[in-house]
Amino acid sequence: KMRVIFVANVEVEAMDHAVALARKAGEMVREALQNERSIMCKSSSVDLVTQTDQKVEQLIVSSVKEKFPTHSFIGEESVAAGQPCVLTNNPTWIVDPVDGTTNFVHGYPFVAVSIAFAVNKELEFGVVYSCLEDKMYTARKGKGAFCNGQPLQVSDQKEINQSIIATEFGSNREPEVVDKIFSTMRNILCLPVHGMRGVGTAATNMCLVASGCVEAYYEIGIHCWDVAAGAVIVSEAGGLLMDVDGGPLDLMSRRVLAANNKTIAERIIKEIEVFKPTRDDAPMDK
Amino acid sequence: VASPCLAEAAMSSAGEDDRCWADCMDVAVRMARRAGQVVQEAVKQEKRVSSKSTPTDLVTEADQQVEDLIISTLREKFPSHRFIGEESSAEGEECILTDSPTWIIDPIDGTCNFVHSFPMVAVSIGFAVKKELEFGVIYHCFDGTLYTARRGHGAFCNGVRLQVSKEKDISKALILTEIGAKRDPATLDIFLGNMKKLLSAPVHGVRIIGSSTLALCHIATGAAEAYYQFGLHCWDIAAAAVIIREAGGCVIDTTGAPLDLMSRRVVAAGSREMAEYVARQLQPISYERDDHDQGTRP
Repeated sequence: KMRVIFVANVEVEAMDHAVALARKAGEMVREALQNERSIMCKSSSVDLVTQTDQKVEQLIVSSVKEKFPTHSFIGEESVAAGQPCVLTNNPTWIVDPVDGTTNFVHGYPFVAVSIAFAVNKELEFGVVYSCLEDKMYTARKGKGAFCNGQPLQVSDQKEINQSIIATEFGSNREPEVVDKIFSTMRNILCLPVHGMRGVGTAATNMCLVASGCVEAYYEIGIHCWDVAAGAVIVSEAGGLLMDVDGGPLDLMSRRVLAANNKTIAERIIKEIEVFKPTRDDAPMDK
Repeated sequence: VASPCLAEAAMSSAGEDDRCWADCMDVAVRMARRAGQVVQEAVKQEKRVSSKSTPTDLVTEADQQVEDLIISTLREKFPSHRFIGEESSAEGEECILTDSPTWIIDPIDGTCNFVHSFPMVAVSIGFAVKKELEFGVIYHCFDGTLYTARRGHGAFCNGVRLQVSKEKDISKALILTEIGAKRDPATLDIFLGNMKKLLSAPVHGVRIIGSSTLALCHIATGAAEAYYQFGLHCWDIAAAAVIIREAGGCVIDTTGAPLDLMSRRVVAAGSREMAEYVARQLQPISYERDDHDQGTRP
């Protein structure tokens, strides 16, 4: 395999471009919210997608292709259209054009544009634009995490009983899956924790961990494009990422745990009823 | 300076003075903003936290300070009025609604969020006369959004008129709820059972943000279709109920009966059909009534 030798300048350029794109995409989302939003469904009646998801991804893909023609691209809607979802060593943009599509459809005020960038399979920067709050979260490996220019720091809480844990129900309504999700919730609520929260977008939930507002976020069922950018932001804010079974974060595994520290992370992992959704990089059934 | 409401109070049998309540509401808006500023400052500082009914039912010095600020200012302007406030009730003040003009106040809704600097915290000021809810003011302390409504005069968010969602299909609904203070396994089983039932309807999703009043405002704005909760208080419901009704929505008891302000439970939705559907799915969780010292009702 060829390892890409990377020049730092390109990375800075790429990140500036990502921030500008995220802002533009956010504007598109805000405008679209003024108009009627017609919904289509993907894997089920609760897995929603709209024209805005597709338009925003188009904007990002075409702009990136123009400026960085050799770079690779993993985007939610492109993958839905049949593009492969495999991370190679090549500089790769990992994009969720509208994270929180259900919220978007309802006008519920948490919707984010998520743009991450990886080289040699390592995440280099992440940008999450919570466009209805006008909060631009950014982080570059080794350079810290920021929200609208203000540095971010995870919570220093070590007591699980004084923690807030974020999670989501996802879009899988199969009874066995729902049972496991509720079982985990019950375990965590019984610890007890201060509370559980879910704003409806993985990327925003991860930014809440990075901001110190919640101690941890976990979910089974997310996709790589939901968490790639948030992972850099959490990490650069002093937090850590893991798989829900305690192993290292596996971007394609459909599972994530983001936490402020190891103590909280390990305590939460004990309570999670693990299951294995189909991986993002699984071969497509033809 | 004698307030217009002093004159009104003197003629206590004269019925409501519409302009008087409008003046009261202007004061409420100013107080909510002022209190909101105090909260914004306090959230940046170190917080002294203790717990009330359960280890997860939090209270801070700021709750007390903000409530004192609001009630002392209002009491000076309206000395004949009565006050129901979260912290005053905790101190043992009576929590009963009489015919007198009564302010119903939650100084910091979302105390747990406040402690964690999770940005969903509100000041809620409701007002009732002859036991009827007359106006409500809710101020989002982190982003400065102001929700207001006066009975018969519409509901507004930062001056923009509000309209609830008219979605009637449960399979297209976004549902909001909150956990409540009780965390014993038996209660949690009912709480989770209710959520699982609704999630599996299926609905589009369920959200928990940690502030009843702000979640109820999301019903009024049409951002979600229904809200249900066991364990909230009259001071969480009073302002939001007016805002939701004036935005065209429906606020009822979890049994489907009319709203019982002191019952510690509520269902609110954009439409009656949605509210009644949600209510039918719920197994009840009982919490002691807010007016427990007077209660003869179950």
